[in-house]
Amino acid sequence: MIRLVFVHLKYELLALLRMPGFLIPSFVFPGMFFLMFAAPYLKTPETALKTTTSFMAFAFFTVVFFQYGVGLSQERENPWVPYLRTLPLPAGVRPAAYLLAGLLFALAAALLVAAVAGLATPFHLPAGRWPTLLAALVLGAVPHGLMGLSLAYLTRPRAALALANLIFLPLSYLGGLWMPPELLPGWARAISPWLPTRHWAELVWAASEALPWPAASLLALLGYAVFFALIATWAWRRGTG
Amino acid sequence: MAPPGAGRAGPSPGRTNVFPAEAKEIWKTYGKIQALKGVSLRVSSGEVLALLGPNGAGKTTLVRVLVGLLSPDRGEARLFGGDPRCWRSRRFLGVTPQETGFPPTLRVREVVDLVRAHYPKPAARDHLLEQFGLAAKAGRMTSALSGGERRRLSVLLAFAGNPNLVVLDEPTTGLDVEGRHTLWQAIRTFRDEGKAVLLTTHYLEEAEALADRVAILHQGRLLIEGTPEAIKARVGLKQVSFFAPGLPELSHAVRIERVGDRFVLYTSDADRLVVELMEKRVAFRELEVRPLRLEEAFLALTRGEA
Repeated sequence: MIRLVFVHLKYELLALLRMPGFLIPSFVFPGMFFLMFAAPYLKTPETALKTTTSFMAFAFFTVVFFQYGVGLSQERENPWVPYLRTLPLPAGVRPAAYLLAGLLFALAAALLVAAVAGLATPFHLPAGRWPTLLAALVLGAVPHGLMGLSLAYLTRPRAALALANLIFLPLSYLGGLWMPPELLPGWARAISPWLPTRHWAELVWAASEALPWPAASLLALLGYAVFFALIATWAWRRGTG
Repeated sequence: MAPPGAGRAGPSPGRTNVFPAEAKEIWKTYGKIQALKGVSLRVSSGEVLALLGPNGAGKTTLVRVLVGLLSPDRGEARLFGGDPRCWRSRRFLGVTPQETGFPPTLRVREVVDLVRAHYPKPAARDHLLEQFGLAAKAGRMTSALSGGERRRLSVLLAFAGNPNLVVLDEPTTGLDVEGRHTLWQAIRTFRDEGKAVLLTTHYLEEAEALADRVAILHQGRLLIEGTPEAIKARVGLKQVSFFAPGLPELSHAVRIERVGDRFVLYTSDADRLVVELMEKRVAFRELEVRPLRLEEAFLALTRGEA
């Protein structure tokens, strides 16, 4: 069982690594955007820390949302998937491998952001805070991955990519993943506290400053996770008949 | 009718009378379409069973139920005695994937290894590649394969796990003559090792050449099953053909086909038909009497003439 998870993980990673159309947007873009649009304005360690960790969440968001939203909706039409279901393959193996592959890619994309920040800004995160920061990133990825999953099951593959972008870009902007929410225009600041991306950012900022995690944001993320898990299950059942 | 091999032990250790695949009174409806209406079928060890039927007869649905991809509405499917939807029941099953779906960025060798990794005692990779004529393509990405090569890879994968039952859906569609010959040989060898093959096919010639037993599905029901000979006998017709300028009314022919001067008559009693032809002074030439081909029996049965 565990062996098979690693077999599937290996081929999943291999297939993704050879797919530049997936690799470049989701792995490289967050670091690149950070370098072009954020790094030049980050003069103090405080602003560098906040914006870098925000972009790390953005990197996680890109990978989990697109891998689950767009990737899975396209996989649904691929006849390879029903074939795999005829193999002696326990039901949990592929989702586990898929999840691990997504986390590894998200981690790589986030670390690229951190590396760029280390070179181009006064970003510094004490070693002891890295584990809690990573935990906050992974935790926040859960409702957002489930949101992608819901999208995959609710839409047709052709519509999924356009819809994913329509959801993904505003959520990133309004949630404060590109700039601190204080700098957003008034209308955006009014919406921001209701969005899952904002609560994810709150968790990440708290972790980066070694502050306790805000309970309201934890609760909100949990709520979103349950909500999207229900939607995804409902949409999946509707699709399988 | 007792299928050959009934009572032979299946591959599940310590169990006897286990069939590689068994369908018991299976019903399945898609929306308003009744795809299967109470189909029962057994595949025994050491036999090739060909599932025939016109498009929409329910072949694909029955296969999908047997390999665990679909749940029946009523009835029961068994693989080696277990539920096909449980992965353990599929440890001795090999299925052909649709050749359009290989992961495009994986190499042939990697796809073979990925599939082999699921089975307790898989076949040797290099031997498989050699056997199906893909040794020279092992390092190719699947997206760079030709149509015929993809087809061969798809058939290879059904054998990759060294299974005791292979289910081949339209296996020779898209294969060249050599590829078809290789596959037929692989199927016969496999059968002679005491393993079971379930194949669906459009080519009746293929069923006649390969199958120990044939099952014909029509409109979701099992019309008939048996050896190709038994099915031909069941239809009970012989074919009488000859050249003649014209024909009078004949009481012993059930169907008459004419192409130019050549007549093909179907009859349940060839002797009496020939006597009738002589009595009515039909000037026939090059008279031939022969049993039906499976194809003709199949057409007769699915047209409801049997």
